[in-house]
Amino acid sequence: MELGRRIASRLAAATAERITGAGLDNEKQNRPHIEHSVLDLASLPLGEGDRAVVVAAGPSLRRRDSVKRLARAGFTGTIVAVDSALGACLREGLVPHVVVTVDPHPERIVRWFGDPDLKAPSRDDYFRRQEMDRTHAEDEVAANRKLVKLVDDYGARLRVAAATSAAPKVVERCRQSGMRLYWWNPMYDDYDKPDSVSRRLHRENGLPCLNGGGNVGTAAWVLTHAVLGRRRIALIGMDFGYAPGTKYEQTQYYPELRELFGDRLDEAFIRVENPVTGETWLTDPAYYWFRDVFFEMAREADCETVNCTEGGILCGPEIKAVTLEEFMHV
Amino acid sequence: MNEYLKGNYKVDAKIEESEDAAPTSTDEFEKKALSRLGGSICFVSKKGFIWKGDGADGTGTKDR
Repeated sequence: MELGRRIASRLAAATAERITGAGLDNEKQNRPHIEHSVLDLASLPLGEGDRAVVVAAGPSLRRRDSVKRLARAGFTGTIVAVDSALGACLREGLVPHVVVTVDPHPERIVRWFGDPDLKAPSRDDYFRRQEMDRTHAEDEVAANRKLVKLVDDYGARLRVAAATSAAPKVVERCRQSGMRLYWWNPMYDDYDKPDSVSRRLHRENGLPCLNGGGNVGTAAWVLTHAVLGRRRIALIGMDFGYAPGTKYEQTQYYPELRELFGDRLDEAFIRVENPVTGETWLTDPAYYWFRDVFFEMAREADCETVNCTEGGILCGPEIKAVTLEEFMHV
Repeated sequence: MNEYLKGNYKVDAKIEESEDAAPTSTDEFEKKALSRLGGSICFVSKKGFIWKGDGADGTGTKDR
């Protein structure tokens, strides 16, 4: 097996080991702010019918103008966006019914909500380097300033499904901009085991545990069918990879991969052909793991999942690929 | 402590460590890679999508 794929196959345990501590620390700090459970969202009028669109922030969101097309079409179903896609939505005047945030990283994630404290380009080149939201790559201070204003303007209309693992800085920003927070625990481990972290956490804070599937996009999809009960779900921007022609240094895990793989950097990357577009997309071990997990979860899900991303590597028998327009107009 | 555990005899057989016991450079490399890569949230295989606790009404110990 190729090195990249071999590492991908072992990332479930590695992720748990790496992030559980940070997630639990954040939960302690967030606990005083926990008022509503994510289950409360199920009884709210969040769009019509049983259809939903999950908006992730992969490069196809921009390449395919997916948000603009969604906004123009006047889709009446539910719209659930990941935190990193919030800016792209609001710039098109599209206000998601729910925004999902999970990542415990202490500094980075607040930028997806506009960081009022950012006055100069950050030493961390995460936002300039990768292309989840190109506006940050072009002029991150100006982009951030605009996003702060947008989020402040729309905050009172936004509901956030916040994992208790979310960074306290994100929680503070959401509350400060008037967003309403609906909480859930990440499922950290097998809750049937007597020493389960998930079980202990649930006992302490009373919140349900959601199986997050490794990333915020998959977590948003889980929430859409398992909590909101939507039965036909379209995905946009769910690439789990990098568009053809993307340089290694523009990929999300590049600094880590370069340091780890050195001369063998090329072996870390995996190439996957998208059968719909005929393009060959680039992916890395983490995204490849997300893809495998998504397929496993999709097989068990009580919903139909339709990939309207029009790119990326999430192509398989479990998930039908159609255009966004086909999904919206059926 | 090593002073007390030191053997006071010699053995004729030459003992070689098996190759499996020593971590190979590939093992070390993968271990290091795994400590740096991964997702922002866990995935737990075969445990469904949502767990609301063991209570009959599915809400667990506190009603949130």
